[in-house]
Amino acid sequence: MKKIFGILGVFVAVFVLTAILEPNFLTAYNLQNTLRWTGLFGIISIGAAFVIITGGIDLSTGSVIALVGVLVPMLLVDVGMSLVLVLLILFGVLLVMGIFHGVLVTKLNLQPFVVTLCGLLVYRGLARWLAGDQTQGFGSAFDGLRQLAIGRIPIVGDFGLPIPFVILIVLALLSAGFLHNTVWGRYLLALGYNEEAARFSGINTSRMITVAYVIGVMTAGFGGLLFSLDVNSIQPAVHGNFYELYAIAAAVLGGCSLRGGEGSIFGVVIGAAVLRLLYNAINILGIPTQLEFAIIGTVILVGVSTDEIVRRLAARHELKTTRDT
Amino acid sequence: MLQQTSYYVHCAVIGFLVLFLAACRTSDEADRPEVGFVTNGIASFWTIADRGANAAAEAFDVDVSVMMPPDGPSGQSRMVQSLLARGVDGIAISPSDPANQAGLLNEIAQNTYLITHDSDAPESQRLVYVGMDNYEAGRMCGQLLKEAMPEGGEVVLFIGLLGQLNADLRRQGVIDELMDRSHDNSRRDPVDRVVANERYTVLDTRVDQFDFARAKGQVEDALARYPELDAMVGLFVYNPPQILEAVREAGKLNQITIVGFDEDDVTLQAIRDGEIVGTVVQNPYRYGYESVRVLASLARGDQSVIPENQFIDIPARRITADNVDVFEAELRDLIGN
Amino acid sequence: MRVPGEMPLLEVQGITKRFPGTLALDSVDLRVGYGEVVAVIGENGAGKSTLMNILAGVLLPDEGTIHLDGQIQQFASVKQAHAAGIALIHQELSLLPNLSVAANLYLGREPARAGWINKETLRTQALRYLERVGLKCDPQTLVATLPIGQRQLVEVARALASNARLLIMDEPTSSLAEEEAEVLFDVIRELQERGVSILYVSHRLREVMSIADRVVVLRDGQVTGRLAQESVTRDEMVRCMIGRNVSRIYTRKRNEPGPVVMRVERLVTRNTKKRSLSFCLRKGEIVGLAGLVGSGRTELLRILFGVDMPKSGLVTVAGRPVELKSPRHAIAAGIALVPEDRAMQGLILEMSTQPNLSLGALYRHYLGWKLLDRAWENDVTKKMVSQLNIQGVQASKPTRHLSGGNQQKVVLGKWLTLHPHVLLLDEPTRGIDVGAKQETYKAIDELAARGMAILLVSSESDEIIALSDRVLVMQDHTIVGDLDHTELTERALMQLATGSTHESPIEEESIGEVA
Repeated sequence: MKKIFGILGVFVAVFVLTAILEPNFLTAYNLQNTLRWTGLFGIISIGAAFVIITGGIDLSTGSVIALVGVLVPMLLVDVGMSLVLVLLILFGVLLVMGIFHGVLVTKLNLQPFVVTLCGLLVYRGLARWLAGDQTQGFGSAFDGLRQLAIGRIPIVGDFGLPIPFVILIVLALLSAGFLHNTVWGRYLLALGYNEEAARFSGINTSRMITVAYVIGVMTAGFGGLLFSLDVNSIQPAVHGNFYELYAIAAAVLGGCSLRGGEGSIFGVVIGAAVLRLLYNAINILGIPTQLEFAIIGTVILVGVSTDEIVRRLAARHELKTTRDT
Repeated sequence: MLQQTSYYVHCAVIGFLVLFLAACRTSDEADRPEVGFVTNGIASFWTIADRGANAAAEAFDVDVSVMMPPDGPSGQSRMVQSLLARGVDGIAISPSDPANQAGLLNEIAQNTYLITHDSDAPESQRLVYVGMDNYEAGRMCGQLLKEAMPEGGEVVLFIGLLGQLNADLRRQGVIDELMDRSHDNSRRDPVDRVVANERYTVLDTRVDQFDFARAKGQVEDALARYPELDAMVGLFVYNPPQILEAVREAGKLNQITIVGFDEDDVTLQAIRDGEIVGTVVQNPYRYGYESVRVLASLARGDQSVIPENQFIDIPARRITADNVDVFEAELRDLIGN
Repeated sequence: MRVPGEMPLLEVQGITKRFPGTLALDSVDLRVGYGEVVAVIGENGAGKSTLMNILAGVLLPDEGTIHLDGQIQQFASVKQAHAAGIALIHQELSLLPNLSVAANLYLGREPARAGWINKETLRTQALRYLERVGLKCDPQTLVATLPIGQRQLVEVARALASNARLLIMDEPTSSLAEEEAEVLFDVIRELQERGVSILYVSHRLREVMSIADRVVVLRDGQVTGRLAQESVTRDEMVRCMIGRNVSRIYTRKRNEPGPVVMRVERLVTRNTKKRSLSFCLRKGEIVGLAGLVGSGRTELLRILFGVDMPKSGLVTVAGRPVELKSPRHAIAAGIALVPEDRAMQGLILEMSTQPNLSLGALYRHYLGWKLLDRAWENDVTKKMVSQLNIQGVQASKPTRHLSGGNQQKVVLGKWLTLHPHVLLLDEPTRGIDVGAKQETYKAIDELAARGMAILLVSSESDEIIALSDRVLVMQDHTIVGDLDHTELTERALMQLATGSTHESPIEEESIGEVA
């Protein structure tokens, strides 16, 4: 928890500042949109966090999103399969991809960076090849399904909770429960901190790491489904480009250490929210789009450095008190 | 042991790549001129151009390689270099960033025939430009908006990228038309400045860098920021559908006048349904066809195909509810679908 | 040989160094004359490495002075010691194998003009120093292509090239064949003639006898013997090295061991040279596993815990053959290991005590849906903390902040929650203070009393003697002796471990790191 103070502070600061500078920021419409985007990006960030917790990294997220974005409309619309069948196929494909990543990392001892970088290339290529570089979409026949991405649950007045955000909250609760309250979650954290000691404690580390990669690909695929339902127009060459970096950034902002072990799901959700909030703030304040990356990069640095400074101060304080006693 | 494994894996990968490349390479037929057609990205727009290019290749007995770079200028130079390495007899390119691609364009011109299509590079040594006048097309867009909204109002523009000549000209055309300025395609209004006259106010131009989700998000943010907004113009092919999507979700279809560009299916359907006022379409099929026709002649030493003004005009057309059905039928004919 | 002069090259007085919980060096004096070879010997942990590291500038002493050439020196870094003419030649060679011999000799001090290395100068100068150490090889040869013995000589040449006047050699022959070692001794004698002084650390007493002018013996951080060349004998050295009163460290009541719990039959490992390994452990028995470093003790434990694979052999626990494919399988068969490297293998240092204690047993203690059984975890933590007297435990405090002894108790506790049949202990008291050692001994004793079979590896012979019912002595990856506690003496262990009673020419005269 200590680690996300900084980012929580950034969140509050950007929120308050934007609200003061531009009252329209607080309209139900705008908040809904920001929550929806937070939901979509938060889902893939949770997957990234699981992989990062094991000390690995998943660079294939964006390409998985593109592949799913191409595959699902093609199977549903062009081939005309039933939704259930398509979801089953999707589940199977994602499972195989995740296991593939995990096995390459654990059994062949390849570096996660390399394995998932190749995933990034391969899945993107497959998506483009399958679609022949044509833009894919659901047309207007799947508006019911599309509610998963664009629907809202009415709360008060014209404010409703976007369904992707609700999905994110449910997923976050399940993930946090899995990570902190199950044997498998404990194993993941343990091996993330120290894989050798985990193995010496009788943990099947290969299997657990594979589980993490499966979770990573699954959430990317599920997020990809929602993304494709949302934009309804998937250009396989560009859809989801760099989304792995958003996911990794959100996870790291939320307190995951790239060295493994550390990580809180709540932090990841906040991290994703901060990123979306920044994008929204930049647009709604009319800051030129060209400055977007510069601003986001700066804010992330400020947030992460604050955390580090807070941690060092805390450590120094702790040292002092232990020495005094 | 591990080293050995990685050695085998390397060998396998390299072997696979070699086989793959070999399989991809089409067999060369002797003595037929070969020309290259390079796009500035990947889109259905370019698929239609691809069809045109191939139709011309058949008609004029040449081989054409249509290349679509997924990553802008760097992809273009990579693809151009591979074409040059193969010794093609001419290249038609839609430069992503003409101002900074002088080197690449010169490299083509020095080695083979260079023509531009879709987006021009007037400073280069290109022999001819095949395309429409983007500035005029932009003005056409502005004209559509003016007709739909004669009383005036606040407008936001959405575009994929700026700095590319056709995009800049398109945007400037819309602004100049709304501002009732004279025809001058060298004018440039800065991006972060509001441009207004007594009737129309162009509040902002948002750039999405081809990220569709971001394009949609920017529409939503504009709707949030300017609750009184009257109109939106989407200047790249995917912008109008994303505008439509976001405006529909916001329940503001009645309030926002939408004008589009290019002929996405969603855009055409929305025009038919009266949700989008109209769009301005190019004729990518003709871009591909004319480019290859010109290159084929040049490759055989015939320079007469080049007009005096070095411009083969493929004019843009306005599509509104009146002619959308006719246009769509034409389009279907063209891509045989 | 030059007669040591009036003023020594190196004069060390009253050097004291404390580490948390231990006094590594206790007021040590040492003199090395010009052109003198002084050997420093002692058991593992006697303080040899600490002393060498202080002289080479790696560590700073807490007290004491170092004079070089009569000048007082204080080395804050290796670089300073180097500049003063002291060079440490490590056990693990520090050459860069992918560079040439010449490049290694002048690494960081390349003869260069305007940033360009002058290859010709480099070559001729390198040749000169290679000649001095009797190495006839082209300076352009890659170090990786040289045999290990020649690399050692390159190390020496490198030290000479930097104008070293005192060479500190830490176990220089540990990885050399006999002939290679002989070459090295010739070089040492040669250097001595030229006035270079050498501080020589070794376990091999025969070497020490043949090349040292004087021998200094360390034990528990104190100098326990200074022997001039004429009085250097094997017996005398051994007498100075050992000689603690063994019974003092821990007294244990031996029980009558029960039935056989674990049986290891004809185990062949990757390193097995002669005989395969066979032995058994009985219920309630503590079996010590003694031997020199590198004799295969840790390797055996790793195999029994499923970390490494044996080539062949059979292991049965409680009468059933077990397949040791991974630690998971070993644990399921009732075997637990307290590893030597606590930080890397024993604990998740970033996690607090509770998850560390329960980690090994989670595979069988959980609720539905694999949910953590918090109540059980709490119980087990309370039980272990009180049973093992683990101190400093706080709910959210990472085990990193516990003392070494308490960390070790957590590792021990992790396995006690599982009630294993067999407990493997690898150096269980390494790096922990005296008080915690006593508690660890007591814990081990109690576990045996409750029926656990314990296999104890330790480099501290008194520890093995005090605790074991029986001791297996390993040498060269095989078991060479099986001593009952009644026959246990430090001398007997040493003789077996060093192979004095067996035919083993290479190890014959080595000593130290016994048990």
